[in-house]
Amino acid sequence: MANAFTFLKKILIRKKQSLPPQTDKEEAAQKPENDDTPVLSERLALIKKRLGESNDVVIREFNTSRDRVKLALLFIDGLVDKKLINDNIIQPILSGTIAHDYAEKITADNAFELIKKHVATASELSQVSNLTQAIKMVLSGDTALFIDGEQRIIIFGTRMWEKRSVDEPVTEAAVRGPREGFTETMRINTSLLRRRIKNENLRIETMKAGRRTATDINLVYINDIVNMDTLAEVRRRIAAIDTDAILESGYIEEYIEDVPFSIFPQIEHTERVDKAAAAILEGRILVMTDNTPFMLIIPTSFFQFLQASEDFYERPFAATFLRLLRLFALNIALILPASYVAVINFHQEMLPTSLLLNIAAAREGIPFPALAEALLMESTFEVLREAGVRLPKTVGQAVSIVGGLVIGDAAIRAGLVSPGMVIVVAATAISTFAIPAFNASISLRILRFPLIILGAVMGLYGVIFGLIIILIHLAGLQSFGVPYLTPLVHGTADDMVKTLIRPPWWLYTFRPRLLNLQQQRRQAMNIWAPTTPFEERELAHEQTSEQDAGEG
Amino acid sequence: MSKRQSRMLEKGKISPRQAGELLVIALNATSILLVPSFTVKQLGQNAWLAVLLGTLWGVVTLSLVYWLGRKHPGQTIFQYSQTLLGRWLGKAVGLVYIWNFLQVVAIVIREFGDFMTTSFMPNTPLSVFSLSLVFLAVWSVYAGLEVIARMNEFIIILVISSLYIILLLSLGNWDLGNLQPLFTVQFLPLLKTSLVPEVWAVDTVSFAVIMPFLTRPKQAFAVGTAATVFANGLVAVGILALLATFGPYFTVIPRFPILTFVRAINVARILSRFEVLVMVVWVAGVFIKTSYYLYCASLGLAQITDLREIRPVVLPLGIIAIVRSFSMYKNISELETAVSSTNPAILSLYFGIPLMLLLVTWFREKFAQG
Repeated sequence: MANAFTFLKKILIRKKQSLPPQTDKEEAAQKPENDDTPVLSERLALIKKRLGESNDVVIREFNTSRDRVKLALLFIDGLVDKKLINDNIIQPILSGTIAHDYAEKITADNAFELIKKHVATASELSQVSNLTQAIKMVLSGDTALFIDGEQRIIIFGTRMWEKRSVDEPVTEAAVRGPREGFTETMRINTSLLRRRIKNENLRIETMKAGRRTATDINLVYINDIVNMDTLAEVRRRIAAIDTDAILESGYIEEYIEDVPFSIFPQIEHTERVDKAAAAILEGRILVMTDNTPFMLIIPTSFFQFLQASEDFYERPFAATFLRLLRLFALNIALILPASYVAVINFHQEMLPTSLLLNIAAAREGIPFPALAEALLMESTFEVLREAGVRLPKTVGQAVSIVGGLVIGDAAIRAGLVSPGMVIVVAATAISTFAIPAFNASISLRILRFPLIILGAVMGLYGVIFGLIIILIHLAGLQSFGVPYLTPLVHGTADDMVKTLIRPPWWLYTFRPRLLNLQQQRRQAMNIWAPTTPFEERELAHEQTSEQDAGEG
Repeated sequence: MSKRQSRMLEKGKISPRQAGELLVIALNATSILLVPSFTVKQLGQNAWLAVLLGTLWGVVTLSLVYWLGRKHPGQTIFQYSQTLLGRWLGKAVGLVYIWNFLQVVAIVIREFGDFMTTSFMPNTPLSVFSLSLVFLAVWSVYAGLEVIARMNEFIIILVISSLYIILLLSLGNWDLGNLQPLFTVQFLPLLKTSLVPEVWAVDTVSFAVIMPFLTRPKQAFAVGTAATVFANGLVAVGILALLATFGPYFTVIPRFPILTFVRAINVARILSRFEVLVMVVWVAGVFIKTSYYLYCASLGLAQITDLREIRPVVLPLGIIAIVRSFSMYKNISELETAVSSTNPAILSLYFGIPLMLLLVTWFREKFAQG
């Protein structure tokens, strides 16, 4: 079985490598040295050839006074701040700044240096040496200034486009905690993180992936905490992505995860800024992808999927209670229907007599065996849930009403299913929703079906058989070198306790050990000791006596 | 050569704690089910004394194995037996141990199947249980020692906590008067019972295989001793609880007294008849024990035949174990009789050979110095 996995993995990797080479036309376009020229009119012709007749490509040609130097601006309408271009690029060049009348002094020889250093008042400015680089930057919203007879090109940072404002994260709502979620715009997202971690060691490292989409990918980490080996591995895996397009972080997740054919998600994603910041501070690496609010957290262990950011804001007792509740819900969601089928079929003696009689009486008129009943109800529930997800809210309610009636009442009255099964399916469904992470809960929902079948065939032995298979798989999984089941397995006692319960914040003295970080300690010890007036007096006494000793 | 080879065969490392936990499961998974009935049959109220004495023998075995491991760091018993006794004799000794580990696998499979078919699912053929268990074991051995140890960390919590919960819930059924008379046993029968492999903590000999893969081999003796004492202590307490509940006479009547014991528990008329849950937890323990011993046997065979990988031998060994489990005993009574007796071969396997290897090591050192 493990063999089969490695075999399929090999196929996958081979597939990744065998992406067809780019066509000749594309390759020609990729070679800028061949068809770049300092002459402005030829350059503009080249640009028109390469970018085509798209109506959002703007080329603005203008000359300095007395036509001494010919200039041209290239930008994409809709991606730039036009006011900035007008006020800080075109106007100073044509009419000079308030302090100096540079406009008169620009000549063909000094144009580049003068504009770069003195004339242009735009704050963000850089230079590139060939057309291809310039076009790449223009396509991401910058503005290029071409000077006739000058090979070098000035690039102004003028990015500005319509963006969604910072909104409440829809998929991870919380009762308590910040309401800010990531947006689709990378710059806003980095600023959200910077605002939370005002530390000079916060690093935001840029990579690109996707031949055609040229998607920006940022690795965010804290330089003196992160495990450098993990970081290098993340870099290596992202750099190895050779594909056409990256449209969502889900693409990256699948390209870089350890075991592509696992049913379990090996990388956590989040939309919440506070959760991302907490992960970074814990020594993990955040992979931000442009154009999506979902950020990846690396490395991930399974139990992270059972934690909500809220756990860390509520009081420890409440948070611990919720955490244990979720663990319970996880078990219910995975094994309750299978166990019910197994008990009904094989182990009736486990049920108290009165309950058994009730169940037997209710099941008397049911035409199906318990297995068929369970599969029918579970599938119905899954279909209903799926139908409700993407509908407009008003219609969605109708679906849930119809579904509730069908499942709850009509099916029982028609004698298709027993009330006991309805209760089991309902409890399972609610438990599934209690798991915070959707991607983890969906893998549990899938696994439920084989477990039901095993339970119907071999009773509880079949259920435990299935669970052991899942356990073998989980115990072998790793996420970037960190075992998937940490810290409950393979972890230190400290981390283990922190998984099951949520101790008060002043006990979070160390970061997770298995991440092998550069700095394990996150806070001073003993800060919890509250000082009573008496102790304060004692402390003051000690200090004075120390001073005396020092003087003596 | 051998050091590099062992590294190639098993890349993973396990912590001493994980090794100790493996040993606890290896000891407890089967003993809790079988030991009470035959020790009580042989010794009456003093059965638990035999278990405590067996712990002592287990620690003796462990210390022999431990010193061998310390004298030959980075090598398993299959490797240092070859360096000590020469190539062919060493391989023969290795084969004996491989056969022993396979035998344990076969006995566990058979025991497990018989337990399931007699107690829970009488209409299901025995082969269903043997095949499914070996399927799981083979798969996890493919995954490696590290994965087995990690799974065990998970499973041991279930197994041990469920045993404790059972003991706690059964307190209402205890009658301590049943434990009397105490210490009315002669030494020879006690010694004889304590030398039965199931009572004698012979599983400690498996440390001869996994010691090189420990992150800190020096701690092997400490964790091994702790694990042995803990596991056999639990069995002793279990026997005491059984005796206190049923008395010596009624303890030996059922085939699996622990099941009857659990059936007798009834808390507030809600918690009752949950022996199936005990079965479920026990399956997990048996699975780990099977995987662990199948791993030991496979690693040994791979090392003896100088293979570069453990994989090719796992499935064949698993199949041999299945076949052996069917052919070994005609029925469960025969198995019970076999499990509850001891013979000189076993004595030499768990005591004689390690002692001999240690003596050879010692003589060689003396000889080299002299």
